[in-house]
Amino acid sequence: MSFAPRPQVQPWKRANTSRRFQILLASVLPIAATALIVLFAGFDANLATISIFLPLQIIAAGLVGLKAFGRRGFGDAVLVVLTIFFSAFVLILLLSVFLSVLSEGSKAISLQFLTQNNVYISNTTSLEYGGVANAILGTLLIVGITTILAVPLGIAMAVYLTQSQSKLRGLVRTVTQALSGLPSVVSGLFVLSIIVTFGFSKSGIFGSLALFPLMLPTVARVAEEALKLVPSDLRLAALALGAPNYKAFFQVILPAAKSGLITALLLGLARVIGETAPLLLTVNVNNGTSWNPFNGPMETLPAYVYGYLSSSFVSAHQRAWGAGLILLVLVAVLFGLARYLGRAKSLKSKPTKQKASK
Amino acid sequence: MTSLTTASTLSTEDISVWFGQRQVLSDVNLTFPGNKVTALIGPSGCGKSTFLRTLNRMHELIPGAGLSGSVFLDGEDIYGADFDAVSVRIKIGMVFQKPNPFPTMSIKDNILSGLRLSGRKIGNAEELVETSLRRASIWNEVKDRLNDQAISLSGGQQQRLCIARSLAMDPEVLLMDEPCSALDPGSTRRIEETIKELSSSMTIVIVTHNMQQAQRVSDQTAFFLADDNTPGGVVEFGATEQIFNGPIDQRTNDYVNGHFG
Repeated sequence: MSFAPRPQVQPWKRANTSRRFQILLASVLPIAATALIVLFAGFDANLATISIFLPLQIIAAGLVGLKAFGRRGFGDAVLVVLTIFFSAFVLILLLSVFLSVLSEGSKAISLQFLTQNNVYISNTTSLEYGGVANAILGTLLIVGITTILAVPLGIAMAVYLTQSQSKLRGLVRTVTQALSGLPSVVSGLFVLSIIVTFGFSKSGIFGSLALFPLMLPTVARVAEEALKLVPSDLRLAALALGAPNYKAFFQVILPAAKSGLITALLLGLARVIGETAPLLLTVNVNNGTSWNPFNGPMETLPAYVYGYLSSSFVSAHQRAWGAGLILLVLVAVLFGLARYLGRAKSLKSKPTKQKASK
Repeated sequence: MTSLTTASTLSTEDISVWFGQRQVLSDVNLTFPGNKVTALIGPSGCGKSTFLRTLNRMHELIPGAGLSGSVFLDGEDIYGADFDAVSVRIKIGMVFQKPNPFPTMSIKDNILSGLRLSGRKIGNAEELVETSLRRASIWNEVKDRLNDQAISLSGGQQQRLCIARSLAMDPEVLLMDEPCSALDPGSTRRIEETIKELSSSMTIVIVTHNMQQAQRVSDQTAFFLADDNTPGGVVEFGATEQIFNGPIDQRTNDYVNGHFG
């Protein structure tokens, strides 16, 4: 059996040979010219990318567009060049942060780095000894308590802002927005003043309290947006079926907003998990492993990074990088876990049991 | 299924409605006898949908809403002290203009959602689901995929699912707010057939912009009109036959013959 050749199914992509040649020239010439200038005139490569390559590329693409479609072709081509250039720029920035943490941090990572604590370890100790288990534990406990406090309250605020008709909503929203600009060190300072005034000692729970006002506004604002996206039709449909308000909320609105509310949780988590200053002020540091957030100082990953970065020894720096990598991985794991647990319940099309036809 | 049971009679007395300071309806007096289908017609903005929402106390959910007058369900005032909004809405079901199945629930759970949401016991779930879907004439299309998500259905099927969802509550009165305005002719025809079958067991009030639909499905018709900057009201109310073929008021005649609106 033979098949007819597949006909051309994307006719809008047709271009004649001379257009193809122009596009090829416009893609290659600016890079080539920039490369030559960098190589032979000794120009700085980064500077040349912005000051030579970008203008050349805009001109080249613009000319091809102008020749093909006139003015609108010019505008389109310039926009495409700018979009791709700046997207690549941002992507490279992010990747270089990630890759440098990965390449530096991976030198410190080992099983013992994950399972041991920091007791008897100094700036000069070899990387074969000591680890961040105490810091991972502390970060998880402190951020966990913050989450338990901030997420229900943040969602409750969002519910108040979206579901009620109260006149105080504007005030609450403004205060929430103002709170989201609160510098973390000020939050730490406030909790520290409580500790000092009442004669408490620094411990994990105070770290949670210092992180709480940082996480709350993020959760509340993102959750508000998520709840706003639920069509009011659904609430009306539920009420028209005789649902009391609380059942309409819990059985209809909340499930419909679930993925948005999980995003609220994650952004809140991301906001606080790397905070250093408030934890140094309220939790202090602890080389040993502490399971008790209510008594005594605890170690946290950001504090661990900060502690070893202020040294000038290579092994200390590698410990800091390693802890930074673990913090990144921890965030990724928590994000993945939350997405997995919160995924939409898959309603598979199982064939329903058929009754005998009547 | 077809045995004729006498359904409740719904009637209104001097219903006037305000949004903030603006009065949008004035002194509506209508009676919806049991097992009859009543069509509410009139140009956009004349207050007929608003009126429909006063009949099952959905009106009061709108911020700034006001109301005077009474709505009687078999002689009892649904705005009276003995009734609360929830028990009114259980007895008087509603189908909205846009299909609004619950997107996070399966077809089956959508049908059962009414009973769950209003906190009532579900006797035989399988049977209730089948009966409700059959009454909304959508059973044959969905019987093999009751566990699929409701939003996987087409628009017309979603609307019939919403009707089935209301029917599962076994309401005494069913209010329909332009239920076919977003649907194709085929789905519209099936919903109209459903309405006729349902009238054997309940009282139906339907808002529609489609004159042919009003003539096809209804026993009696009320024509609403709001003149510029005055509250809307009922111009003429009577048997559908009479409203369309021999209206008394000139404005009704102009409207049903498509001269304005």
